[in-house]
Amino acid sequence: MTASPALSGLPGGLSLPQNETHRPMISVRNLDFYYGEHKALRNISLNFPERCVTGMIGPSGCGKSTLLRVLNRMYDLYPGQRATGEVLFDDRNVISPDIDLNRLRARIGMVFQKPTPFPMSIYDNIAFGVKLHETLSRSEMNDRVEDVLRRVALWNEVKDRLHASATAMSGGQQQRLCIARTIATKPEVILLDEPTSALDPVSTARIEELLDELKKEFTIAIVTHNMQQAARCADQVAFFYLGELVEVDSTDVIFTAPREARTQDYITGRFG
Amino acid sequence: MSGAGSSPGGGVRPDVARPEGVRDRWKTPGGLAFRRQFTDRLASGFSYAATTVSVLALASIVWTLLSRGLPGLTLLTFTHMTASPGQEGGLANAIAGSLFQTAAAIALGAPLGLMCGIYLADYGQGKLASTVRFVSDMLLSAPSILIGLFVYQTIVAPIGHFSGFAGAIALAILALPIVVRTTEDMLRLVPVSMREAGIALGASKWRVILFICLRAAKTGVMTGILLAVARVAGETAPLLFTSLGNSGWSFSPAEPMASLPVTIYQYAGSAFTDWAQMAWTGALLITLGVLAINILVRTGFGRNGT
Repeated sequence: MTASPALSGLPGGLSLPQNETHRPMISVRNLDFYYGEHKALRNISLNFPERCVTGMIGPSGCGKSTLLRVLNRMYDLYPGQRATGEVLFDDRNVISPDIDLNRLRARIGMVFQKPTPFPMSIYDNIAFGVKLHETLSRSEMNDRVEDVLRRVALWNEVKDRLHASATAMSGGQQQRLCIARTIATKPEVILLDEPTSALDPVSTARIEELLDELKKEFTIAIVTHNMQQAARCADQVAFFYLGELVEVDSTDVIFTAPREARTQDYITGRFG
Repeated sequence: MSGAGSSPGGGVRPDVARPEGVRDRWKTPGGLAFRRQFTDRLASGFSYAATTVSVLALASIVWTLLSRGLPGLTLLTFTHMTASPGQEGGLANAIAGSLFQTAAAIALGAPLGLMCGIYLADYGQGKLASTVRFVSDMLLSAPSILIGLFVYQTIVAPIGHFSGFAGAIALAILALPIVVRTTEDMLRLVPVSMREAGIALGASKWRVILFICLRAAKTGVMTGILLAVARVAGETAPLLFTSLGNSGWSFSPAEPMASLPVTIYQYAGSAFTDWAQMAWTGALLITLGVLAINILVRTGFGRNGT
């Protein structure tokens, strides 16, 4: 679909090591979620293993983005949305009312479908988030900005115009800047909500390469409509349908021998 | 301008003969072509006529102001105060009064309007917000003389005398709803994704509004404030009941204060030719000022506006 020819030859997702080296970073337990009266997630239980990419797939409206927005309490912005159950992260239940939301969001960062550069310079886009949580000297901040821009492979493209407006960059560059901005606050988890669906194939490929680098340090959850992307990037894949978690397993198993017929039907394109 | 489709014969190849009895489907059938062309020309004609009338009216105003006002525009206009008929006078006190009252009105009204606009766009929900929005829109179209009478009742009468400060408050009340409306509209144009991205970094709501949303809406908000300046700078009615006018300098905002619109109002009907001349010059100045602000809005902010 949007995969470039150069990428289609890459091997599928690595099999998920189900051993103890990847302890669960986030554990979702019996989670229900409501948009007003409408129940959008039903009894979800799912682990996000540390330093692994968890791909979340399923047809539109199946609840995968909703789950992502529970993990960093994004739904709190909107009255009428509520969650019940447990989302365990660092020994605390994320959805309990007494969680410090700003700290939570610093530790669980999020990248959105559309690139959302702030109307300020490239440098300030990164410094904005950092300043919220740390007090850095000028030179420390310069180092941080350079470091994160190098890690998203943007440094060479923008090092001469750090103080130019971020909105003038291409879509792919903007999305890499948004990822840089997110990792600059030193999160432990990164949530990506269809991060490449607004990008061209070349930009998509660069973001996917980037994910392979980032998972060495961060735990990643990615929602995608692109089956090949899930196969390429994810270590484990969770298939959602009508607000339920149908199946979760290592990428190999999901794409070669899923247990559920519905998973089989979806990944082979029979519906969705 | 005439419909391209109605002109017959375009692009005909002379070397290809159309067989007898076969209809040329390039031709619009029957009387349709003529009727369409006629309607098209009629509509265009009306648009041109309407545009010409309004442009002519504006041109006539500017021309009259220039031809009558320019002769009185000298250095004295800016250096001397309004004087008795027959004496050498200028408009210095009126200009200074207008500048002060407009600036004070914006200094009072703009921050208040900004905050109110932020409330309506980002915090206000339910009945209270819709009431505030409704009242603000009412204020936007309230007759300005009522605002003047309101400030007279609430400030001038209890204090016992007219003052420049009262004039500034009346103008601020006029500026307020303009800033409220534009700020709310411009903030609502900022995409939800931008707010969410700020929140997702761990920024608090007020910080996202102040440093991201307002920045994104900057040009629109500034345009609203400048339009408010242009609106209040030319107001006469609210000042008649508040700052009244002053033939000399007002050394304190607590004293009655002169202003260009009120001076024009007082001089325009005068039998003295030098006062009438002064009124024209004042009208020219105020028009040029408002025009300058509008040009600034269009060129300076309009280009990269939302």
